[in-house]
Amino acid sequence: MHWNWHEAPGLDEEEFFSNAMSWHFSPETGSRFWLDRLESLGFDPVRDVRTHADLALFPNLANDLRDVPVEDLVPRGYGESADVIGAYDSGGTTGSPKRVVLQRDWMRHSLAWKSARMDDLGFPRGADANWLTVAPSGPHIFGRLMAELPAMRGGVAFTVDLDPRWVRRCLAEGRAEEADRYAEHVVDQVETVLASQRIGVLVATPPLLERMAERESLVETINTKVSVIMWGGAHMDPDTRHLLRHEVFPDVALRGQYGSTTILGGSMERPAGPGAESSKACVFDSFSPYTTFSVVDPHTREEVAEGERGQVVMHHVSKAMLLPNNLERDTATRVTAPAGSLGVSVADVAPVASFENATVIEGVY
Amino acid sequence: MTAPVLLDALGASGPYRTERRHQVTGVDGSALAELSQVPRLYVVRTVAALRRAEPLPADARERALRSAAELFLGEVEGVTPAEHERRVSLATGVALPVVRAASRQLVRSARLAAESVAAARPAGSVADWRDRPGTGAVWARRGEVLAVHAPGNHPATHTEWIEALALGYRIAVRPSNREPFTPHRLVAVLRQAGFGPDQVVLLPSGHDVADELVRTADLSLVYGGDQAAERYGARADVLVRGPGRSKVLLADGRPLDHLDVLVDSVTGHGGTACVNATAVFVDGDAAELAGRLAERLDGIPVLEALDERAVLPVHPSRRAADLEAYLHGKLGDARLVTESALTVELPSGAAALRPAVMLLRTPQAAQARIELPFPCVWVAPWSPQDGTGPLRDTLTLTAITEDEDLVTRLVAEPSIRNVHVGDHATHLMAPGLPHDGHLAEFLMRSKTVMRTGAASL
Repeated sequence: MHWNWHEAPGLDEEEFFSNAMSWHFSPETGSRFWLDRLESLGFDPVRDVRTHADLALFPNLANDLRDVPVEDLVPRGYGESADVIGAYDSGGTTGSPKRVVLQRDWMRHSLAWKSARMDDLGFPRGADANWLTVAPSGPHIFGRLMAELPAMRGGVAFTVDLDPRWVRRCLAEGRAEEADRYAEHVVDQVETVLASQRIGVLVATPPLLERMAERESLVETINTKVSVIMWGGAHMDPDTRHLLRHEVFPDVALRGQYGSTTILGGSMERPAGPGAESSKACVFDSFSPYTTFSVVDPHTREEVAEGERGQVVMHHVSKAMLLPNNLERDTATRVTAPAGSLGVSVADVAPVASFENATVIEGVY
Repeated sequence: MTAPVLLDALGASGPYRTERRHQVTGVDGSALAELSQVPRLYVVRTVAALRRAEPLPADARERALRSAAELFLGEVEGVTPAEHERRVSLATGVALPVVRAASRQLVRSARLAAESVAAARPAGSVADWRDRPGTGAVWARRGEVLAVHAPGNHPATHTEWIEALALGYRIAVRPSNREPFTPHRLVAVLRQAGFGPDQVVLLPSGHDVADELVRTADLSLVYGGDQAAERYGARADVLVRGPGRSKVLLADGRPLDHLDVLVDSVTGHGGTACVNATAVFVDGDAAELAGRLAERLDGIPVLEALDERAVLPVHPSRRAADLEAYLHGKLGDARLVTESALTVELPSGAAALRPAVMLLRTPQAAQARIELPFPCVWVAPWSPQDGTGPLRDTLTLTAITEDEDLVTRLVAEPSIRNVHVGDHATHLMAPGLPHDGHLAEFLMRSKTVMRTGAASL
């Protein structure tokens, strides 16, 4: 694989980073965002960043994405040929959302990779594989990326829209009942589509799958019609995953993806090798070398050892964007990446623990 | 030292072991068990299974409850009663002899559950429509599935929900992660005794899933502090068992004659229950009474929870220090009568808190509402002119007075839930007598059944 997206066997790590740093930090090709920050970095990326491990030199600048004009994010090297599909927001769970731009070349290449992983994972292709995607559109990159896939794989795209920000707002304001009603409204639409259409692939978030699981007839329809459920956009704990796979949707393959807006996409679940892993572990491999993971100790920021849990750091290094060292609000187990890949793979991703039930003193219970 | 036990959830189709587990730790820091933590989806599916299940007939329920009571006294899934009680004592810090007494209470409550609920049935209602030839009121369930957010402070608290089984409810118990042993053993013996796995389940879970149980069940019984009361108190489908704030009123002119019942009210039953006295109101010399009470309480030996002579509850050492610091921070113009530090480190690594007596200046002092999980009592002066105001909001009030009019007003006061007149400690309870109202008042309603050929209309 080369810097300019050409597929090639093997990866020269040094060459990749040398090209990437030259692109993003040369006045002719770099983005205004990075050129403006070059002085304050305290190191010379072109000279000092030679390997994946060197990405740790960069500060986490993801917060700057909350207010930077998006034009500043496009590398100048694209010139007139820049083909920006649009600006997309992170979820905005903390403060105002971070904003990134999605370019067509990145979308094409990352989805080609994703589609190849879907072949590995047994996703259907062709006319039998219509898709029903329950995902946020609008400012959310997830819905935009998902919208491309059915056509790439030969099916018709059905969609049900959802607004996760409204749900979060309801919950933050203590209106859980309203969030419930909204979720039921979404599941009603899913049920309507599935009632009359041939759907081979169902894309949904774990909380919505759990809602669907509460409706007996819908569960039966999904088991009968759907061959793959692809989940993403939220965490799924190993126990819930086991229940969904073995008790709720035993006739459907359950496949996960894990990603972030700030790396412009996601990773895919690793296909289970023959007896290679315990049935409950869910491992995600990234689109190396362009998107990669590290797992660090939240206090020291040092990488944890193989098999240990820590906080997930995501990196994006491509022609379209450079954004290394994003500390995500997720924890995961560090797993060896596939041969030839950079960084690590992650297993059993979970939210960073919140401080629930902190020192209650009064009372006897 | 025994290796930690794996404690499974007990679901509608049998034991269920999860990846996510909670480590149950003893007051001495020892690992006691790894408790499975069921996910939300499991709660939803299990409650649905309970709702689909038919209850056993009333006589079968009664037989099964009696049989479960006997089984509780034997070895359950390889755990002897002695080992069980040891675990409960270490998990809660409640003194071993108190835990043992609680086992007897549990057994008695299970044996008498059918009679206890019958005692709560309105005199005009029959238990089964076939019990009456003509038209009249029949006592019926308000729902099918009861969720219980069980407390972990004291094993005898589980006597309450057992009664719901006698009424035909299917029950989902979410145990406290601090002390899951007692409800686990109870559910295990109830199943051995004939309640199917779709009649009573144990769903240990994190706080994130707790609300789901309340959402999916028909009715819920929730033990908790002021926070739980705030969260669920307004809901008709949730019964909150909140703070006890039990009190003693000494108003017969001879306050020092009642030190025995005071000591018992403060420290009996483990000294960590909602029925332990939190405040004492004295018509007389409150300072003298406080001093004498502190002396008496100081005579109670500070021992490990597992000691055969133990009375006082113990705590993880850090928690004991936090509790003592909290109490000091709340003293305000109150005086701590108990001398020297309250926290006593024990050889095991746990810590005891010596009983604390605080003297308040007025009966209206806000501190009298502070209820802490160790023997800790506020003493305040009181005179008849102060009236019942300071005595309100009380689970059990022991009223030592010869003033019948006062007793009448106390019995009538809606926020006082039980009145013990004379030298009866606040913690005394008995099957068949309401503890905080009858649970059955929440679970049941009377409905009219009008029948053809009825004798009267």
